[in-house]
Amino acid sequence: MAFLDNSGDIILDAVLTDTGRMRLAKGDGSFKITKFALADDEINYSLYDKNNPSGSTFYDLQILQTPVLEAFTNNASSVKSKLLSISRDDLLYLPVIKLYAPTTSDNAAGYEQFDLTGAGENTFIVAVDDTTVKAINGTDLANSVSTAGILNGSRAAGQGGGSSAKIRVDQGLDTTDISEELNIDPDLLETQYLVEMDNRLGFLVSAATPTSADLSFVDDDNIATYYLTQGDTGFVTIMSPSYTTNVSGPHGSNLAFRIASSIVLKTNNYLFNVLGTAGSQAIGSMDGSTAGQTYRFIDTFIAITGITTGYRIEVPIRYVKQI
Amino acid sequence: MASTFKTLLNNDVISTRSMLHEAIPLTGTIVSGTYADNNIKNFSHGMFQSIYDYPYLSSSANHVVDLTVGFSPNSSLSASSPTVALNPQQAKKINIYNQMAQVLVGYDVTGNVRQFDQDGNLAGGTKLKECIFINFSRLLNKDEIKKASFSMTVVTGTSLVILEDPVLIQDLGALTSYKVNSPAGEYGLLFSGSADGTGPGPDASGKPAGLIFYQAGICVLTASVFSSIAGATAGRCVSRFSSRPGWHDSGSGNVSTISKALTGSYISSSCDAFRNRLVNISFNNTTELNSTIYFCRVNNNEFNYSSNPTYLSSSKLVIKNNPSDTPVSYITTIGLYSADNELLATAKLSEPLKKTPDNELTLRVRLDY
Repeated sequence: MAFLDNSGDIILDAVLTDTGRMRLAKGDGSFKITKFALADDEINYSLYDKNNPSGSTFYDLQILQTPVLEAFTNNASSVKSKLLSISRDDLLYLPVIKLYAPTTSDNAAGYEQFDLTGAGENTFIVAVDDTTVKAINGTDLANSVSTAGILNGSRAAGQGGGSSAKIRVDQGLDTTDISEELNIDPDLLETQYLVEMDNRLGFLVSAATPTSADLSFVDDDNIATYYLTQGDTGFVTIMSPSYTTNVSGPHGSNLAFRIASSIVLKTNNYLFNVLGTAGSQAIGSMDGSTAGQTYRFIDTFIAITGITTGYRIEVPIRYVKQI
Repeated sequence: MASTFKTLLNNDVISTRSMLHEAIPLTGTIVSGTYADNNIKNFSHGMFQSIYDYPYLSSSANHVVDLTVGFSPNSSLSASSPTVALNPQQAKKINIYNQMAQVLVGYDVTGNVRQFDQDGNLAGGTKLKECIFINFSRLLNKDEIKKASFSMTVVTGTSLVILEDPVLIQDLGALTSYKVNSPAGEYGLLFSGSADGTGPGPDASGKPAGLIFYQAGICVLTASVFSSIAGATAGRCVSRFSSRPGWHDSGSGNVSTISKALTGSYISSSCDAFRNRLVNISFNNTTELNSTIYFCRVNNNEFNYSSNPTYLSSSKLVIKNNPSDTPVSYITTIGLYSADNELLATAKLSEPLKKTPDNELTLRVRLDY
């Protein structure tokens, strides 16, 4: 996308997204705009120079000069960072959503990421079929994949067991300026999360039970959307002040889940050939037991957005399948 | 409660309908000259000729207009001997006329195809039995030709180079006087007159020259424009200049009258001759825009914070030093959503808009259909 001409009057470049056009073409009344959101995708607030000696006029000079891209028609590419309406003007801190990175003592809970390179290039690995699980985990097909950061995608959903490894994101004020013993303001507490992931590759499963999450819809780009609320057992948990988390300040809620691989990934290599790396590329030394193994893999991510605050993070995922 | 969406109320959404007009100039050099006829496409069936705005073998070429000629089965020209040598494509010329007539003027009560009428009164009067059809592509025409905007100049003299005896043809008075008795929509009457001041100019009560069908985007030009212009001698505009094709009788190969040219030459030859006598055509097209306008009203206490990852550093707002500092955010994007939070449309501002509790904004997003 090109930049919009910002030399004259402010102009507004509006387009229907691909999803909008698809709904319009259906003619079933599903194209109905009912609300709007504002976003600041291009803005880098670190350019805000609040201590500029020339005065407040110069604080946001660089931000106001930011060139803006033309509108994207891909619905998944726009409105990433939304603006937020909060009635109070005196907030100095806002909650974030943070991937839970356990300390050594928490490792047994299985929330760790897998370090791909040994240099902090972390991801979660989903072993898509029994063969891959077995290659990683010896002969134990039904239960845990023992290596941290490796999820048993083959048996995550109601198939007699699965991995203890799971993914968790925590919400809260990540600051030491405020005691974690204090509660987060109720109007900033996330009680509902939106999860978007590629529906061709896998689906969400509860962290506590082998139960699949209810899918809300799949868009034209095969991106599945899940809405998970506080009432969805095994997904959303309100964290008490004593809850173990790496959020430094007051705790909010967390979202935990596992990933099950799709039937297509389990039984076929087509998507690995199209979307991933086909053939014999090894994934380093995935763990001690897999030395010499080679895998096909697809790198993707899962986007998690807090409905209340609009804060969004993307969790890297690698689906792997033994050759 | 913090929120990222704002619901649009009934008075935030309105629907409008507006007409967009574009000026379309079609110069004579495009239809004959600039591209050495590489932008002219003839077909093996020979029933019409297509004109492009660039050599048609190029992917950059756009189809702009089709030309063809025809005459009524009731025309005296139909009585000519239908031999290839003397009257090639006679049946096709009659077929073309009938096809255009049945689409543009329809049938009478007995089911017979009507003929084009000079004054639009189908009950009687003078019929246009020998016609040149100029069919504009939808690319130019869009939804319709704007009434009273059509203008065409053709030369009718003996020399093409000096543009002798140019004739101006216009749909004068069509803004207030047009016909609605066509099955193809509204049409106006074309009138001709001198284009260079050597004679009277076009006059709405003057010399009729054909019909212009606005929604269909078709100009029906009577062939008599080239033989009976006021002040011109009948049959005067029959010679061709240099290598440029003029009206001529392909049977005998001699320069001839328009009537003999229509009967004695192929459709494509007549189209060639017409193209080389066309100085320009201009009109305004019309696009009907149906729009929905969404007024995104941003109150002073709304959208003052951001979920942008750069907005926070260790959960602290980077734009504030103290709680009492005014929050600020910058709008670059507007997302329009369905009730189930699907992004249906996006709009981008050309520059970031500052939003603080000190200001309110109304962003007007228009979607055209």
